[in-house]
Amino acid sequence: MKRRKGTSDSLLTKAGGELDDRFKLAGPARVLLNKVFPDHWSFLLGEIALFSFILLLLSGTFLALFFEPSMVEVTYHGAYVPLQGVEMSKAYESSLDLSFEVRGGLFMRQMHHWATLLFMAAILVHMLRIFFTGAFRAPRETNWMIGILLFWVGFFEGFFGYSLPDDGLSGTGLRIMEGMTESVPFIGPWASAALFRGQFPGTDVISMIYIIHVFIFPLILLALITVHVGLVFAQKHTQWPGPGRTEHNVVGFRMFPNYVMKQVGFMLFIWGVIGAMAGLFQINPIWLFGPYEVSVVSSASQPDFYVMYLDGLIRLFPAWEFRAPPYFTLPAVFWPAIAGMGLSVVLPLLYPALERRFTKDRGHHNLLERPRDNAARTSLGMMVVVFWIIGVISGGNDVFAEKFHISLNAMPWAGRIGIVVLPIITYYVTYRICLGLQQHDREVLAHGLETGILMRDPNGRFYEVHQPLAEPDEHGHTELEYNGWVVPKKMNRVGALEPADKGFFKSIEEPSDNGGAERRDEIESGKH
Amino acid sequence: MSAHNDGDRAEPESVDLSDPKLSRFEVYKEGLRRDDIEIIHYEPRFPKPGTKAEKRMERIVGGFFLLSGLFATAFVVAYIWWPWEYDGPATWRDPETWYTPVLGATLGLSLLLFAVGVLTWAKKLLPIEELVQDRHDGGSSPDDRRIAEATVDGLVEDMGLKRRPFLVKAALLGAAPLGLAAVAPLGALLKDPGDMLTVTGWNAERYNDGKPIRLMLKDGAMVRPDMVSVGGQITAFPAIDHGATNQFPTSPILLIHLRDEDAQILHGNLYPMYQDVDALWGNFVAYSKICTHVGCPTSLYEQQSQRLLCPCHQSQFNVVDNAAPVFGPATRHLPILPMTVDDEGFFIATSDFLVPPGPAFWNRPSLPEEDEK
Amino acid sequence: MAASAKRRRGWRKRLGALARFTGALVIVGGLYSVFSPGLYAQESEAGAIDADAVKGQELYDTSCITCHGDNGEGVEGRGPSLIGVGSAAVEFQVNTGRMPMAAQGAQAPDSDYPVFTEEEAEWLGAYIEYLGGGDVVPDDLDALVAAGTVGEGGELYRVNCSSCHGFSGGGGALSSGAHAPSLSGVTNEELYQAMLTGPQNMPVFADNQLTPEQKADLIAYVQFIVNDDRDPGGVFNLGRFGPSTEGLAIFLVGMTALLLTTLWIAGKS
Repeated sequence: MKRRKGTSDSLLTKAGGELDDRFKLAGPARVLLNKVFPDHWSFLLGEIALFSFILLLLSGTFLALFFEPSMVEVTYHGAYVPLQGVEMSKAYESSLDLSFEVRGGLFMRQMHHWATLLFMAAILVHMLRIFFTGAFRAPRETNWMIGILLFWVGFFEGFFGYSLPDDGLSGTGLRIMEGMTESVPFIGPWASAALFRGQFPGTDVISMIYIIHVFIFPLILLALITVHVGLVFAQKHTQWPGPGRTEHNVVGFRMFPNYVMKQVGFMLFIWGVIGAMAGLFQINPIWLFGPYEVSVVSSASQPDFYVMYLDGLIRLFPAWEFRAPPYFTLPAVFWPAIAGMGLSVVLPLLYPALERRFTKDRGHHNLLERPRDNAARTSLGMMVVVFWIIGVISGGNDVFAEKFHISLNAMPWAGRIGIVVLPIITYYVTYRICLGLQQHDREVLAHGLETGILMRDPNGRFYEVHQPLAEPDEHGHTELEYNGWVVPKKMNRVGALEPADKGFFKSIEEPSDNGGAERRDEIESGKH
Repeated sequence: MSAHNDGDRAEPESVDLSDPKLSRFEVYKEGLRRDDIEIIHYEPRFPKPGTKAEKRMERIVGGFFLLSGLFATAFVVAYIWWPWEYDGPATWRDPETWYTPVLGATLGLSLLLFAVGVLTWAKKLLPIEELVQDRHDGGSSPDDRRIAEATVDGLVEDMGLKRRPFLVKAALLGAAPLGLAAVAPLGALLKDPGDMLTVTGWNAERYNDGKPIRLMLKDGAMVRPDMVSVGGQITAFPAIDHGATNQFPTSPILLIHLRDEDAQILHGNLYPMYQDVDALWGNFVAYSKICTHVGCPTSLYEQQSQRLLCPCHQSQFNVVDNAAPVFGPATRHLPILPMTVDDEGFFIATSDFLVPPGPAFWNRPSLPEEDEK
Repeated sequence: MAASAKRRRGWRKRLGALARFTGALVIVGGLYSVFSPGLYAQESEAGAIDADAVKGQELYDTSCITCHGDNGEGVEGRGPSLIGVGSAAVEFQVNTGRMPMAAQGAQAPDSDYPVFTEEEAEWLGAYIEYLGGGDVVPDDLDALVAAGTVGEGGELYRVNCSSCHGFSGGGGALSSGAHAPSLSGVTNEELYQAMLTGPQNMPVFADNQLTPEQKADLIAYVQFIVNDDRDPGGVFNLGRFGPSTEGLAIFLVGMTALLLTTLWIAGKS
């Protein structure tokens, strides 16, 4: 409550004075301290990725102290008995030592891996929020594109990290990547030879992806994240429509202390969740996989979940190979792997421009749209989500087949049919749901909300009593305009019918003083 | 930073900051005003300081912090003193198997508790506030734009970009090769793939001075027919230097000993190119182990259904039909390594694969036989 | 339920194996004196049927004959001939509950509740062995396994077994509904029998391909990673399914926890 700047000549004031003499901080600091941020749970999803990334830098630095990116052949003599005497690369040996002979090394490795999964999962969830609420619209298309790039750099950063330990699973992943690279017309063999310095797997690939994994890509990620967050700051965050909220203002609380405290708290919470998961859930037990050998493979070889969608597409794509013997072959894997991945990069990048072109909507939008209010976009998004989920499930279809006792040969066919048919059905169903929700909003605004009270009139007709949201005209209608925000649909949202009991673990008997204003806001939201 | 411009605001609203009677709150509000912020709602969470409820909330938040510190201490103690070194097979009774879970639980709880402390502080002790700030969306003011335009025009004029087209063209012509020079060193990565995708370790001329190459197990033992019983399979490598290592990634084969009836079917189905070189030996067949899809080892041999399955993308190959693909994304059969048995009773390859094993590439030499199925 | 039952069964078997091993002098020696003479006697006077085989034949004629035919000659379209498969195959199939098969399917599923007791399986094995010889499990298998080199076994496991049973021994899917079973809770004998006889779609690993010592190494490795060693990386190993369950966990545990937290943080208080 107390503001320490200005009047009291405390030590802080003196220090502030000294700093201001040198850096002229008072003005910019005030702007920063007072900046207003809107508050909504869905605005916190990107932070999960941001704070996971910070933890990735920290845990990754620890791992880099012990990991040796070398493919020199050594014989293992470490602590893990089942691998003693086995020939392996130095990279794999140091990963094993990291897991068994470095104090807390296994914990750190698992923390790094879980943080990666959370980073990528949070990017996806955050991206869905941005998409479905239309937050990517002008003036924020640039930041949307940066976000897409962040996903793809993270994608390869994660894949390279998965490849570094040089265990059986990472080698299999690299093998598949090599096969995909080879499939590119004309440049494929050269590209593969450049990646592996000759024939796969060679002896250089680990040191090459190491420098990419620990230096180049983290640097790119750091730069992109800085611009990404900076743009959110400079362009000011979008906000939901609501009482008093317009395209030209931001309603919320100040950056300090409220926003920053919540951010710090959330950061620690995210780290706590990752830390707990790193200790309790085993991830990527490389000691079971053995060193990578070209003739060795495991059933249920999967990439991490964010790559699984691509692997699923590769599994589903039919065996269509174009051949003009003996001069030219276009391998089947080119389509899902190279063309598919290319489209997955380009289409999202272009989406804001495409939507602008089709809707001819060139205005700036600082108020978010409820998903239901843009049925076409929401349906399109759901279509992509379903497509992606089928891809992911197909990426693990052998595990699925085995655990749920489905024929392995039925899974790809189910996937092939599903990935074509289900997105179309999803589009239609989502579209209808959106229209239904829109209509219901209008109906409540026009006729009031359903009270659940059934009455019978003298003629014997049953009807439900409606609570109008404003003073009705002689026909019982209210002329309320929909303002893009939640329309109350239950009596207790308009102040009637308080919940019988409050409190989570135990009852809080005394009524809260602070509830009144909010309830009023909600009632009034229908009038603005 | 947002485009705030203190000068935009009309002066009359501002308060005289030199006025000694101004309260701290009024000075603060003047700051808000200069940032185009208005307070809609502001009330302390506990209007009367020092009430029981407030004290209680303080105790709760403080408790979270102290508990967090306790768990952080536990983490440090466990990190240093908990037995952690792996020493062979362990059950849940061995404390070292609990090292990682204990680290996770203590550090996780410590972070979570501190987080909950900070968040509770923010939610339950900070004043309730709602402010509104002007967004100043859109471009700069017309004045700013005009000034910027004039400045840039002046720049162009000063440099004479319009008057001196030759200079511009010459600069571009010079810069293009310079850009090329900047990326040229990346060419060091390039390496001629040569015949790396078509020649394998079974090439006797290159790797064994023209002498036939024997089939070898991973441990170096040469393969004899009696080592694989009916319905069995064995992974074999070329018996050359480093033949069983990753230096020869397209060489591993799966040597299968078929049952009589299955071998008959395979003999009947054999592609002409394999018949010509007599690729099988008795009931034995040697298929490339590298999947023709993207190169995983196709090593799931089902001895009853006579299929080979690739665990990566579920391509399935018919063992009694040249390992032609029967399911999944693979499009080409697994090449057969033509082999026989030498005088000493060991398997030898009679030539390299007739078609390149492993995943396809654009100029892969393909034979008409491959289109049969 | 099934999993815990399986675990209990695994425990019991492991304890049993331990008891046999530690009490080798008493128990194995005693068993030797009882069984070995009979076994050798049978070999020496080939053709003569011993008491165990007679009991086995009774069981065979009631439970197996429908599919495998008179005297184990097989029935076209129902069951293969059993002549020459040996007692190892019979005991594996019967003790793991795969035989008798309830219905024709992609492959015989294993069951935690075998129809026959181990003793009855031995009788059946004796009968099949009487019909046509075949592979047998060495008597000193547990000692062989105890002397096995885990590291060598690991190399063999990765070359020969992991493609179907997975790096962590959890099993995997095969074509058209068949699958390679999980190796957890499996006894030394069952592992040995399976390698020796190649049940269902599994390839045969006869003694000339993997010597009994190599098989013992392999068994030692499997028992180490699947049954003996506790996963060091946490309380939950997520079934060791690899990235598929890890991906599920990050959404179901991590993301869910954090989404609930965002609701709490941004919720009105």
